[in-house]
Amino acid sequence: MKQKLDYYSKMIFQLVRSLHTSPVCRKAESSLLAKLRKKTGYTIANCKKALEMHNNDSDKAEAWLNEQAQAMGWAKATKLAGRTAVQGLVAVKFDKNHGALVELNCETDFVAKNEKFHKMIEDATLACFKFAHTSLQSKGDITKMELDSEQLGNLSVEGKKLSEVLALFIGSVGENAILRRAECWKANNKEVKIAGYTHPAPAASGDYSAGKYGALLAYKQSSGHEDIGRQLCQHIVGCAPKKIGNKESDKPNKNSDDETCLIYQEYLLDPSYTVDEVLEQNKVEIIDYIRFSCGESVENNMLGVEKQPLDTVQTLQ
Amino acid sequence: MNGRLIIRTIYCNFTRKTPINHDVFSYKPAFFGVFANKLSTKTETKFVEKKHCNVGTIGHVDHGKTTLTAAITKVLANDGLAQFTSYDEIDKAPEEKARGITINAAHVGYNTKLRHYAHTDCPGHADYVRNMISGASQMDAAILVVAANDGPMPQTREHLLLAKQVGIQYILVYVNKADLVDDELLELVEIEMRELLSDFGYDGSSVPMVYGSALKALNGDESELGVPSIRKLLDTMDKYIPPIVRDLQSPFLMPIDNAFTVPGRGTVVVGTIKRGIMKKNDESDLMGFGYNIKTTLSDIQIFKKSVPEAVAGDNVGVLLRGMKIKAVETGMLLCAAKSFTLSNHYKANIYFLTRNEGGRKKPVFSKYSQQMFSGTWNIACRIDLDPSMHMMMPGDHGEVYLTLLEGMVMTQGQPFTIRENNVTVATGIITETLESIDVPKGKLGKVIMRYN
Repeated sequence: MKQKLDYYSKMIFQLVRSLHTSPVCRKAESSLLAKLRKKTGYTIANCKKALEMHNNDSDKAEAWLNEQAQAMGWAKATKLAGRTAVQGLVAVKFDKNHGALVELNCETDFVAKNEKFHKMIEDATLACFKFAHTSLQSKGDITKMELDSEQLGNLSVEGKKLSEVLALFIGSVGENAILRRAECWKANNKEVKIAGYTHPAPAASGDYSAGKYGALLAYKQSSGHEDIGRQLCQHIVGCAPKKIGNKESDKPNKNSDDETCLIYQEYLLDPSYTVDEVLEQNKVEIIDYIRFSCGESVENNMLGVEKQPLDTVQTLQ
Repeated sequence: MNGRLIIRTIYCNFTRKTPINHDVFSYKPAFFGVFANKLSTKTETKFVEKKHCNVGTIGHVDHGKTTLTAAITKVLANDGLAQFTSYDEIDKAPEEKARGITINAAHVGYNTKLRHYAHTDCPGHADYVRNMISGASQMDAAILVVAANDGPMPQTREHLLLAKQVGIQYILVYVNKADLVDDELLELVEIEMRELLSDFGYDGSSVPMVYGSALKALNGDESELGVPSIRKLLDTMDKYIPPIVRDLQSPFLMPIDNAFTVPGRGTVVVGTIKRGIMKKNDESDLMGFGYNIKTTLSDIQIFKKSVPEAVAGDNVGVLLRGMKIKAVETGMLLCAAKSFTLSNHYKANIYFLTRNEGGRKKPVFSKYSQQMFSGTWNIACRIDLDPSMHMMMPGDHGEVYLTLLEGMVMTQGQPFTIRENNVTVATGIITETLESIDVPKGKLGKVIMRYN
């Protein structure tokens, strides 16, 4: 009883309040606006404009907004184009003979955590993965295609160019985003296998994942041994070797911590072996690898704290 | 005649006033009691000082966080309560190094009539977390800036998630660019913001919202949405964020900085009381390094004077009954009897320094064992990553499980660092005390982890 009374009194109070603050008719309009906004997620100002243009017909307004989104996205993307974007994600997708590694950058890591961003990079990765299946062929064991931002934008997903999808995304989050680079790999014979890994790794290892770091690896392994492709990728992500290294021409570094040749590095998962020993035990031959660290391609050209003049660096304590 | 009149008026006034005074006495005896208490300790001067409060701005990059920060300093600078910090100075703040960690943050300080505020503005999630872990400043409250013409953006959810994660209890909303839209839209922004706040466990209906235009305020516009909106925001901050007071209610706790023997009397331990009130003859426990020794406080001294009690913030020497100097080690903790339990197992939020910051080069896996430093003590410690994480790269932050060689007392929020070959490789704060875990034969490598 008391609850009911409470409920009624609240209702009456709200009614009186709404009468008091704004005319009833306006309330209806703003709820229409609220609905449209909830449904479409476009900015409040645009939703309002759409409703005004179509005499509060929400269906028409929605259609118009969707129509305009592409143009508005482009406008926003052009406006924001100059801003630095070094946050973001690296995603990898691979099967036995194909692999794709994609980096998508944004301005803040908040956006990189958003679902829309995850959808965006997944779309881009799928497009690259599909691209890796096309009839491209080169000599040697694998065909490697390196894509820059522009080439990436020209790939298409579900009949839409990636650059268009990206513009839509920029329009929705209002932050600059760049399809930075991608690698599309294809194995040219059956002996060659491809594996990928990203860090942080998802709990269940699948053929798609996204993280701050990523690696693709092409290798040959004779049968009858445990497949260590994923582990090797993890080693590459963790230890960041600069090259595979050649036993004849390269010498191991005196300090094992500073070793940059993959074969001489201590194996990440068992430091008592070097990578070379692990490869031999498992009869693996590494053909090629690539490692992406999110933001590295831009950061290399930027001033870090260690490169700033000393007097501009503040210290706490 | 005249003289009589004067005497009479004085008399009348006097009698008229005294009953009122009596009223105050009878209604608020507790108030006077507390006041008397405060006078009896040395912390009295603290109450004259302005209270300190840490705030931060969060929000979308284009919604005017930096403009708002600049506007606040501008408005207060006119009152002589702050130094004006321009947009560019905040935006291009040089990276800072706190405890060796590089943080991308702008720190601005200003005063209101009631308080002193330290204002933090970080560009990204990782920066806020690093800021929290390095203890540069724990934010008490956050101002969420949202532009009225855009409304909440998809990533606003991530902003609120962060606020929850770094333990911000109080959120204020500043609806910026309110001059660009009409009341109807403002109402909609408010409704959406309140819904969103409620989704993240904040009390959406009571979170204060202030409308204004930071740009107008920065330009000195005196209309309602200009300078007055900033003043309103500051007033709201003064009122809405409760003062952070020293915790006097909880059982007392004092980390031991030093210990010595007074011939003929016994062992004296020295330290600063972290919280609570310590009274003479209180029962207490001396804990740490696997030991839990019961004792009684036979005497408390502040600056060589015996006092009946001491409160949080006091630096005291305490004479412990029947304590041997050998039993006391620096880093042990003196606390009210049975208020704490020893544990060697904790959950913590940790950040691994990057190579540039002097940290490790290689990633870290579970079973990582190194020396841990916290306060005045250090102990061997093993780190196990959350089962969902396979490894942590330098530069990563996340939840980890700590297992110490011996039982220690650590409180929530206590900072610590991990050092490897005398180089700091990680720093973190304790988030949770877990049940003690068995360390077989003192070998951390053989501990069997139970994740819950």
